[in-house]
Amino acid sequence: MASAVTALQRDVNPMWHGEDVTIADVLTALDDIRLKFARAEAGDDAEHLHPRSCVMTLIGIAPDDQQEKVASLATQAIGMEHPAQAIVLREEAPLAGGRLEAWITTDVRRPEVACAVQCELITLHVKGPAEEHLGPLLDPLLVSGVPTYLWWLGTPPFGRRELLDALRICDGLVVDSAEFEKPYQSFQQMSGMLKLVHHRLGLADLQWSRLRPWREMIAQFFSPVDRRPFLEGISEVGIDYSGEGRGNRIVASLLTGWMASALGWRLRRATAGTGGVVVAHYERGDRTVEVEFRSVPKDGLVAGELSSVRVAGVSRGTTFRLGVHHNPERARGRDIDFPERRGHDTARVLLTIIEIGDGEPLRHVQQLESEDEVTLLLDLLSTGTHDEVFNRSVAAAAALMQQF
Amino acid sequence: MKVDEAPNPLAEGLHDYRIADPAVMVIFGATGDLSGRKLLPALYNLAKQRSLPAGFAVVGAAMNELSDDDFRKHASDKIHEFSRTQPIDGRVLDAFLSSVSYVKVDFGQLDDFKTLAKKLQQLDDANHVPGNRIFYCATPPPTYQTIALQLQASGLNKGEGYHRIVVEKPFGSDLQSARELTQTLQKVFAEDSVYRIDHYLGKETVQNILAFRFANSIFEPVWNTNLIDSVQITVAEEIGIEQRGAYYDRAGALRDIIQNHGLQLVTLTAMEPPLAFEAGAVRDEKVKVLRSIRPLIGEDIEQSTVRGQYAAGWVLGEQVVGYRDEQNVAPDSQTETFAALRLFVDNWRWAGVPFYIRAGKRMPKRVTEIRIQFKRPPHLTFGREAMKEVDPNAITLRIQPEEGISLKFGAKVPSAGLRIRSVTMDFEYVTSFLVEAPEAYERLLLDCMIGDPTLFTRADEVEAAWTLVDPIENAWRNGRPPLGTYPAGSWGPDTAAQLLQGDGREWHRP
Repeated sequence: MASAVTALQRDVNPMWHGEDVTIADVLTALDDIRLKFARAEAGDDAEHLHPRSCVMTLIGIAPDDQQEKVASLATQAIGMEHPAQAIVLREEAPLAGGRLEAWITTDVRRPEVACAVQCELITLHVKGPAEEHLGPLLDPLLVSGVPTYLWWLGTPPFGRRELLDALRICDGLVVDSAEFEKPYQSFQQMSGMLKLVHHRLGLADLQWSRLRPWREMIAQFFSPVDRRPFLEGISEVGIDYSGEGRGNRIVASLLTGWMASALGWRLRRATAGTGGVVVAHYERGDRTVEVEFRSVPKDGLVAGELSSVRVAGVSRGTTFRLGVHHNPERARGRDIDFPERRGHDTARVLLTIIEIGDGEPLRHVQQLESEDEVTLLLDLLSTGTHDEVFNRSVAAAAALMQQF
Repeated sequence: MKVDEAPNPLAEGLHDYRIADPAVMVIFGATGDLSGRKLLPALYNLAKQRSLPAGFAVVGAAMNELSDDDFRKHASDKIHEFSRTQPIDGRVLDAFLSSVSYVKVDFGQLDDFKTLAKKLQQLDDANHVPGNRIFYCATPPPTYQTIALQLQASGLNKGEGYHRIVVEKPFGSDLQSARELTQTLQKVFAEDSVYRIDHYLGKETVQNILAFRFANSIFEPVWNTNLIDSVQITVAEEIGIEQRGAYYDRAGALRDIIQNHGLQLVTLTAMEPPLAFEAGAVRDEKVKVLRSIRPLIGEDIEQSTVRGQYAAGWVLGEQVVGYRDEQNVAPDSQTETFAALRLFVDNWRWAGVPFYIRAGKRMPKRVTEIRIQFKRPPHLTFGREAMKEVDPNAITLRIQPEEGISLKFGAKVPSAGLRIRSVTMDFEYVTSFLVEAPEAYERLLLDCMIGDPTLFTRADEVEAAWTLVDPIENAWRNGRPPLGTYPAGSWGPDTAAQLLQGDGREWHRP
């Protein structure tokens, strides 16, 4: 076993690496690193050690080397915004010994008008699937009194009992349904899991976060009091998306599920035709709302991503039409960047076109933030992962998807 | 509830996303300093956050002869220079500027307001806006009444949609002028459409005073005369009067800071829990505090107030001139640059607890804080010797800089004996959230668009504050108490320290 803490110097990341070690060894090393940092920052004040600041434990579960790198870079970047303890667990790692291989790295941030903050990243390589390790392995490492978020890269084993057991240590599970290996099946399983998890656990999907600007634009259109009756007059919803196959209709279904659950629409039937077309009919009282999905080829969109949304109808004799269109001048990649601040510049926009009655169309351009994992996770973690609107939307989307 | 009165169900769950209705915001004084430094950058940042709805438009109105493009260029320059978020996103800026236009308005010319009215009607038609208007007076206070009356004369205060007017502090220079201003504004607009902006209340940390007090159950039970010895409020600036000599020499620290910021902090510290964080409830409670403050009259003013003026000295290592040598200041000026008051809030909760407020320029550093000083324990369990290094408990709410909260308490010094020493437990915003707070103006402009006046000052609040301040101001103008001096870079005249020493207390050094 090798467990030597490197010399700690101010502004230099301390690092510890152990092969074939136990969690007890990791904890000892962590204590050592924290104590040295606290003493170094306290300076001459030997009686008052530098206080430790930590707002959460963020755990990333990575199924392979590439995802491990993504998780490490993203959690470190988040640590620069939220003082956190980050843990990256690489499952199914090729280990020589019977125990763990572990690394500890730290980043020190020095705000202009406050004490320095040390963020820790603990990387653990384990044998076998992650869900078998989570509880016993990670519980001793969790920071007491702050929330624990589990970010599962790839596809969580939704159907397995071990996952539910492992989630007992967490306050929130974050997934990205865009990264599911079998999107349709996994999404349905995720919807089913919502009924089984403990009440403290919040579930969040980065796809849902990517929908947020679309939801804002649609909600904004109906916000003025004089347009509120339009909600009762919606008769058509059209959603264009990229890619084909039911696995690529998750986002379109989520958006539909959101509107349906918020507006009290009841699903009557849905059919899938050729070319990625899906037609669903909802009822609200004596009205019918027709929802149509169309697959559209568009450069710059990744499979499943929305290209445009149209909502139209008539209310009190006035016709209305809202169109929200994605300017597709980029492709979503896996590159991690390190924004100095949230909402940094992008060239991506949503174009909203409003038509009411015989009036001239009104065009409005709004910015889209970056959709990299760091930005999306930061948004999720700053608002928490308990979102009843999301839960209802997932349930409604799953019900819709079962029809085609 | 009718469907058009119900909450927008699609807005549920959009955390922190507050949706404003489309409107036209007219900025009077659009080419001025406030507009350029604060308003236009704040609007750009709201656009960047997708908080400006489709159909929202800005009309700049000022005396200058400018075209729409000239004003857009001006706005673009100011946004580039003063925006909180950098670099500027070209596409967001272009989209924002496309909603910006300009009308030349001489506030004395009714025809100019009629031209403005035509412009607003055109924008309404093009943008599907049902006449919603916000008139922002980014102009010197003496123009507020003229603008309001011209709006009335041109019919711009009526019609479909809402019509709101925003005015900046100071709201009058005394009780009488404040009442006159209120009367004029209320002649033209309903009181709930008058938004008196004191940007101080838009600061996150000021709002957090309420969160700290009312979102936690552990503080309210001790927040009263039973356990609190005194409250100290400090609003200190290291800067002098800069280019504001002409204004400041007429105003002084009492009117410039104590009458608004200082008393706002008193109300937030002392108020009872409002039923909800909404405009009526919060402002009702604040006004109750102001009305509960024991008025200072006659000899009270000499005994409970201190005024001072800075002389030459050193601030942050730099030698600075005295107040009377500043530009646009009378050489024999009697204006105070430092003010300190001892106030009592005569109600059940605060009976007998003094509130000490001080505000000054050319202090050693810039700091705003509220210190809640608790009483000593009733019995010295560990003996006098063990406790000699222990101060009474204190909670310090730091508003700026280093926004945060500190709790001071006694702890045993690690040793074989039993010695207690004061330690502090610190909470710092920056290290706990590490996210950039929005500018106060972003929050307040959005509040105004949404129609939420919680963080704006109500007419009765303004009048209650002037009612307290006017007698002090009058006594001070008559030389009671005498104007003291203090060297720049110190914490005020000696009489400020004596104000507390007489009560067996001393100012906390921030």
